[in-house]
Amino acid sequence: MNEGRDPFIPGASSPIARLVEAFHRLPGIGPKSAQRLAYHILRSPEAEAQELADALIEVKRSIVFCAQCQNLTSRTPCEICTDSSRDRHSICVVEEPLDVLAIERTGGWSGLYHVLHGVISPSDGVGPEDLKIGELLARLRDLETEVTEIIVATNPNLEGEATAMYLSRLLRPLGIKVTRLARGLPAGADLEYADDVTLGRALEFRQEVL
Amino acid sequence: MPSRIPRVIRTNAIVLRHRRLGEADRIVTLLTPLRGKIDVIAKGVLRSKSRMGGHLEPLTLVEVVLAHGRSMDVVTQAQTIDAFPAAHEDLDRLSAAMYLLELADRITVEHAEAEGLHDLLHAALVRLARGDGQQVVQRTFELALLDATGFRPELTDCLRCSNPVPAEEAWWAPVEGGVLCASCARAYTDAQPIDATALRVLRAFQSQTYEEAGRIRLTDELAARMESAMHALMRSVVERDLKSAQFVSAARRARVAGEAREDAGADNAASESDTLDDLAE
Ligand SMILES: [Zn+2]
Repeated sequence: MNEGRDPFIPGASSPIARLVEAFHRLPGIGPKSAQRLAYHILRSPEAEAQELADALIEVKRSIVFCAQCQNLTSRTPCEICTDSSRDRHSICVVEEPLDVLAIERTGGWSGLYHVLHGVISPSDGVGPEDLKIGELLARLRDLETEVTEIIVATNPNLEGEATAMYLSRLLRPLGIKVTRLARGLPAGADLEYADDVTLGRALEFRQEVL
Repeated sequence: MPSRIPRVIRTNAIVLRHRRLGEADRIVTLLTPLRGKIDVIAKGVLRSKSRMGGHLEPLTLVEVVLAHGRSMDVVTQAQTIDAFPAAHEDLDRLSAAMYLLELADRITVEHAEAEGLHDLLHAALVRLARGDGQQVVQRTFELALLDATGFRPELTDCLRCSNPVPAEEAWWAPVEGGVLCASCARAYTDAQPIDATALRVLRAFQSQTYEEAGRIRLTDELAARMESAMHALMRSVVERDLKSAQFVSAARRARVAGEAREDAGADNAASESDTLDDLAE
């Protein structure tokens, strides 16, 4: 083994090294996968690379945060927030936009959403001030709000729990009932991976946060 | 000397944190009694069918079986010994537990011998979970941790002139690691006056047994002053911001604001919404 020295990377500042580095920064991409992706791009026709580059720029320019729920959307307020058939008395608070998709898929939720874009996780350097909590409070303080219940659908782990309890501490004095997904989701699991039936049941049998 | 490393070991460990590795795996950081802090790979734990995942969450004392791997050991079995359920019942306790975990993590270097650190952390988590005062648990853990790592703070004599410093005239110098007398303090930009009672209690925590320390009664206000002094000290020892320390304080502020609101009733809603704004920022 020739560890620490990569024969495929001639110099740290070469274009290929920069591409490898850029892929390596993506979630779930290790150094080996980053190299594979970079060499795939290198071998593919220029038009394909251009298409990828355009798609990257377009998504950055056309996708915005919904002013109400903070979900990613191409227009604000988003489709869910403006859908008059949805129940406006309850908001389901989730960590990530993907969790909105997972819960929508269950068909068991007709209320609104709020996306925190993360979870309180000191070991990753994330505190309450780094999340969309201020935006949630602003929504609830709006005089026209009809919201009476918040369901915190953070993942069933330490960070998710701490986030739910912290929100409960902030919101209970406002007279809002704060509930949490029922147990049944395995501890440490990710909502993203939960099957629709389990997630639907967890929503249905939610419990009040102390 | 790879041949001398046993292929499989069984050990107790406290899970400090984990991070995602690829689609379904995790790198889990463990604090073990004999090998100190180690990173290990837990495969497939992000899948909901994984049986191991729930046992490898932070704030869990586990028994693990580790198979020797090339770069990192791999967890082949994990069984919870204590998940400290009572620490999860209240946000003050839970945030304090997160702080203890982050401190233990930040102060140790990977694989460096951290003799006694596992036991210190375990004892502190047990005390927190059984409902001991959060202040005494956190402050005595900090002081013991500093002792164990060679950073014992000087709380009685001036760090510069070595004369005994009366609590009423003491200045707090987090970067230097303890107290300065008023005249020496002028030479240090980070030094600030420290509340005399807060310092006296910290001195007692440093010199007395845990049981004696636990008998000292603390108000919320005094607790906040001790906490702010010790957080500043810990920050300078680990040379970085401790997000969990800020979270401990934020959680307490939210509780105090909530209690104040309940006392004040609903007629003062506007000014208290401002308080909530401050908290979220
Ligand atoms: Zn929206």
